[in-house]
Amino acid sequence: MLTFLARRLAAAVGTLLLSSVLVFLAVQALPGDVATQILGKDATPDAVAALRSTLGLDQPAWERYLHWIGGALHGDFGTSLVSGDAVGGDVAAHLGNSALIAGVTVLFAVTGSIVLGVLAGLYRDRWPDHLVSTVSLVGMSVPEFVVATVLVLCFSVALPWFPAVVLYGPDASAGQLLPAVWLPALALAIVMAAYIVRMTRTSVIDVMASEYVTTARLKGLPTWRVVTRHALPSALLPTLHVIALNVAWLVGGVAVVENVFNYPGVGKLMLSSVQNRDLPVIQAIALISAVVYVVCNLAADLGALALNPKLRTRGRT
Amino acid sequence: MPDIHHPGRRSVLAAGAAVGASWLLSGCTGASAAPVLPTTALRGAPDRGGVLRVARPPASEAETLDPASSLSAYEYLGALYNRLVRVGPDGELAPDLAESWEPDARARTWTFRLRAGVTFHDGRPFTSADAAYTLRHILDKATGSPQAGVLAPLLDPAALRTPDAHTLVVPLKSPNAEFPSLLTHYNCYVVPDGSARSIGRTGIGTGPFKLESFAPAGPGRVTAHADHFAGRPVLDAIDFYSVADMSARSNALLAGQVHLLSQTNLDFATARVVAASDRATVARVKDAQWYVLPMLTTEKPFTDVRVRQAMKLAYDPEHVVKVALQGAGTAGWDNPVPPSDPAHLAGHPEHDPEKARYLLRRAGHEGLAVDLYTSSYDPLFTPMALAYQDSARRAGIRVRVRTAAADSYYTQIWMKKPLMATYWFTGRPVDQLFTQIFRGGSSYNETAWRDQDFDAVLDRARAETDDRRRAELYGEAQTLVIERGGAMTPMFADRLVGISRRVRGYAEHGFEFDYLGIGLKGA
Repeated sequence: MLTFLARRLAAAVGTLLLSSVLVFLAVQALPGDVATQILGKDATPDAVAALRSTLGLDQPAWERYLHWIGGALHGDFGTSLVSGDAVGGDVAAHLGNSALIAGVTVLFAVTGSIVLGVLAGLYRDRWPDHLVSTVSLVGMSVPEFVVATVLVLCFSVALPWFPAVVLYGPDASAGQLLPAVWLPALALAIVMAAYIVRMTRTSVIDVMASEYVTTARLKGLPTWRVVTRHALPSALLPTLHVIALNVAWLVGGVAVVENVFNYPGVGKLMLSSVQNRDLPVIQAIALISAVVYVVCNLAADLGALALNPKLRTRGRT
Repeated sequence: MPDIHHPGRRSVLAAGAAVGASWLLSGCTGASAAPVLPTTALRGAPDRGGVLRVARPPASEAETLDPASSLSAYEYLGALYNRLVRVGPDGELAPDLAESWEPDARARTWTFRLRAGVTFHDGRPFTSADAAYTLRHILDKATGSPQAGVLAPLLDPAALRTPDAHTLVVPLKSPNAEFPSLLTHYNCYVVPDGSARSIGRTGIGTGPFKLESFAPAGPGRVTAHADHFAGRPVLDAIDFYSVADMSARSNALLAGQVHLLSQTNLDFATARVVAASDRATVARVKDAQWYVLPMLTTEKPFTDVRVRQAMKLAYDPEHVVKVALQGAGTAGWDNPVPPSDPAHLAGHPEHDPEKARYLLRRAGHEGLAVDLYTSSYDPLFTPMALAYQDSARRAGIRVRVRTAAADSYYTQIWMKKPLMATYWFTGRPVDQLFTQIFRGGSSYNETAWRDQDFDAVLDRARAETDDRRRAELYGEAQTLVIERGGAMTPMFADRLVGISRRVRGYAEHGFEFDYLGIGLKGA
């Protein structure tokens, strides 16, 4: 058990280290130069060279990497090359706004899709199953910006219930942002839910066909009890990983949806930073995304461990 | 981020999102309704008061209110500041803070008589010291103003004289009869004496609105300045919101969250949806943008003037206007001076694919194959490139259209690849246009064209004080650009501006926007 934990944690740290190197290299490889991006096209070569040296862009890459990762370990992500503000605080403010969307999305998506998945599993090959499966297939196939745009057209333009875009900046309060959270969250939930629905459906079908469910039924327990007490806990186990992966995906999916809604979250910050070649901000966000991925996976593994006694003993054999 | 002629540059997003959205929008309204786009804004008088809500693309996170800067928040400038001179709707110069101006006999020294009784928003009176300071601020290297490249060869900051509080004397290094027109640029808004350090945040000017709040790449507000010399503006305030994504901007308009989309040339599909909406409509700014296919004259095969001529004769601008603009514009015939400009020269060589073939054969480039770069940066780049490709085929020129990433287009492709698509806002007076974009060695000379004859004609035109003779010389300059230059100018396009049906008194031409007269119906 302990060795399993230690090995799992070591793997997580290794993954993070590797991804930090990859992030750094990828960002260096972006076409375009921040110095020209900041100074504009009129910049004289002297001015560009001077700015490059102030920004430390003339040092060797490995030196800059060590400097960056050292700072990041202390929570210092440097200063934005464009605005001159500390990256940490800036990213944190945007992350907070995105977390608002992510929270609502997870709530919608997880509860909604588990209910639908169970329903589809129980009514296998009957009309509720066909309906849920088809709708979730569509949700899975349509890109999130299309879903978002359709939602805007329906619920902001045709029926003026929600704002179409957010007009506040990144320092808006949660109260100001709240009316604008529902449509992006719904768009993300629709795209994300499809995977969870299908996974839940499959595992419910598997579990319902298993011997212990048959036994429980033969004992004469009512169906709802069989489902909630005996089938669901085992059925949810394989779903955990799908949920974890989807929560991690949110970080990326949010970027696209945030732009459609002009929502001042981390995704929008990422896009504008890429346009401005604001390297420290891009690196910070990419690294944080990697952390989210690793942590979500780790949490899913540990969750599975807690739910499944068989897995707990595997480390010893 | 050099210039306002690249508005989209500030607003590029995953291009797919924008394209997808407009496709969806047009899909939703149905194919049956393809409303004709309106040709003007809604007429009628606005009501007094009200708050206009404007969505604009942010320049960058490092935006500033310093008008001289290359990162200035463009929409605020005309509301907060005034220039010495501006461009009237007829394309001629009109007084702004300067009431009159005259040159000496050789056009070497210009004297500006400044308006009296004008105050800045902080209550300080406007004097000639402020005007002189503004010019020095633009010329200061530390400001990094794009307009410095145009003014520095003409102006010695130390030589500026202010004999009294309302007279500014500007001695020039070389004669220039068009000098005042260079001061109509949007980098030339007048700021208070000594304000270089603070102006980027305070926005203190003499304009019809004063600053209430401003956040770089964020929201901001300006409120009416009741003591403005031309009277109080119609509106009480203008709220500016920065919305980076183009389709998000049009969604905000359709949902009634904003009244006006600034610096957005709507694509045709979106424009039709907007025009069909109950809340919004489209206003057209005639020939507002000028589209270019620059050939780098320093790169083969365009080093050969015969190849450049062949590239121009090979295609039919009328065809490009029909295909790429769906008729909403004017054929350019490779002359960058817009038809609305008083200096515009109407004559041009006709489309002649046979002659193009002949020239290519002479130059040893028969069956020429070239790469033409575009991007989704502007919705018209690719249609224009494809229309060119189609048209030039008759002269045996094979054009391969290559699409580059939008967000690095102006750093990686523009002025780097031998042939690509780009555009500018029209509204530059003719001398500014030629000096900034066609004169040998100037910063925006996108074709790297150096022609001593052209530069000489330009110098003679500037020094010529006789108006008729000067117009002829600028005509000669246009002929040289058409016959020898590297820039193909297929078309001038109308800008399609998304605007609420409540907006009245909207007037925009070139870089001029009427902040005084614009208002809302039912404010």
